[in-house]
Amino acid sequence: MPVFVACFKWVVDEAYIRRTSAGELDLSSVGYKISDYDRNALEEAARLKESAGGSVVAVTVGIPEATKGVKDALSRGADQAIYAADPSFGTLEASGTATILAEVIRTRVGTYDLILCGEGSSDLYDQQVGIRLAALLGIPCISFVQKLDLEAGRVVAERRLEDGIERVAATLPAVVTLLPDINVPRIPGVKDTLSASRKPVVTIGREELGLPAEPRFRILSLSASRLERQCERFGSDEADLRRFAGALRQKGILR
Amino acid sequence: MAGIWICAEQTGQALELLQAGKNLREAGMAGGLAVLSWPGGPRPEDLGAGGADEVLLLPPPGDGQPLEAFAPAVLEEARKDPPDLMLFAATARGKDWAARIAGGLDAGLCSGCTALRWDSASGTLEMERLLYGGAAVLRIAPLSFPVLAAVLPGTFRSGPLTPGREARIRNLPAPPPSPVTVLERRPKERQGQDVTAARVVVCAGRGFEKPGDLALARELADLLGGALACTRPLSEELHWLPEDLCIGLSGIQVKPELYIGIGVSGQVQHLTGIRGAKLVCAVNRDEQAPIFAAADLGIVGDLYAVLPGLVQALKETTPA
Repeated sequence: MPVFVACFKWVVDEAYIRRTSAGELDLSSVGYKISDYDRNALEEAARLKESAGGSVVAVTVGIPEATKGVKDALSRGADQAIYAADPSFGTLEASGTATILAEVIRTRVGTYDLILCGEGSSDLYDQQVGIRLAALLGIPCISFVQKLDLEAGRVVAERRLEDGIERVAATLPAVVTLLPDINVPRIPGVKDTLSASRKPVVTIGREELGLPAEPRFRILSLSASRLERQCERFGSDEADLRRFAGALRQKGILR
Repeated sequence: MAGIWICAEQTGQALELLQAGKNLREAGMAGGLAVLSWPGGPRPEDLGAGGADEVLLLPPPGDGQPLEAFAPAVLEEARKDPPDLMLFAATARGKDWAARIAGGLDAGLCSGCTALRWDSASGTLEMERLLYGGAAVLRIAPLSFPVLAAVLPGTFRSGPLTPGREARIRNLPAPPPSPVTVLERRPKERQGQDVTAARVVVCAGRGFEKPGDLALARELADLLGGALACTRPLSEELHWLPEDLCIGLSGIQVKPELYIGIGVSGQVQHLTGIRGAKLVCAVNRDEQAPIFAAADLGIVGDLYAVLPGLVQALKETTPA
């Protein structure tokens, strides 16, 4: 029976990020979530299992607080989870995340058919972990996939590229990175949440892993992005709409 | 030769990155400029005219092979003669190439790079990118070389060409056959205006109640000679418009003279896609909508009432 591995990341929910009056980044009241695109990966793995049989292993690398995310992933159709946890994993670069994922998948999952990743994470959006993971495992990778099918021993996928659609095939095992429009992730119900707490979770500490990957970059600065806009308000009555049209004209936009 | 290597699918994209490379060199970063090409890829004569010192020429891609199959050949060459920096045009294929080669070299890759600066006093390459859907700006410097960056097309302006200036050609060997094979290619059908090149972009958001109502936004776009685009829910969840009209961090990035968001709430990922717009306008009935903080001119009102009135007002202020 096929084994599907869905990789996910527990990330800061960017909707809660604020800017202080001094223009600094304020992360004091943020919540966390499973990265948006990774929900598509979990969903697609669950759907493949529903149609082809087999099982889904959810794998994550993150901070110890990500336990909540592990439970969330298990309520989205995964059968078991493997969770590499360490306080230092919150600041991993894409290269480091890919290295740990590769080691975890190689040593703890062993035999697998298809690894599913989001195209990028909604916090860093590096768009490289899945592709690097395939390179490290030495297996084929199909990136930016909008449609996916399993056939005898191979995966057939549609990639969306700037100049059109490319339908490709690769032998299994393989990695796919998914575009967000491939599916609409389910919203777990009460039953899903309850059954999630009974599913097995393997937690791996940093000391059980090989040498951590060295960072490739140092941070010079991290600041809130600025959008310098005028923020002029208009009402919706006729006079205001005329005033708005006049403003566009004044700016030379209307020809 | 250390220097800078450039990989792009199209000539125009390669010329933009060549200019970025020339800027770094003028700032004191050492080494030549080499650009990747292949039959059907960026034109070598234009690359020479655009400032390339060398063209790294690959053989034609094999039958049924994706362009990504080139990556191992480029990786081999980069291992033999490592450049300091590799710049990729961040198209889907470009991002795939960059990640494969970065993985192979165990090197850092700055994706979605928005700025590059060489500080010659400290010998530091400063790279900038966005985090958290665009809410934050991160400035980083590589701890080791080679380093890679994937740069969105349109980030840099291409410079003047020097006709007749020629680049040396270095032939690269054919890569081994890729385990991924192409079954079918369906070129994109161009419908109407190219949104990324439009002078005016009218963007429809979740405020529209049904697909037929988009005609209101289309009428405004037509009146202004602009193109219609949308936010992610309209393309991804509702399928009212195709994915390639979806503006945002993971969609298209636009740089029009004028952007008008209609019924768009203004999520940070969407706002990242309109950072380059010269003038941002918004129509939304919720005065608390985040789009208003990111707009130059905002109309607070129900779009179904505002749009007909706005079209009328614009017609009156447009000279006959």
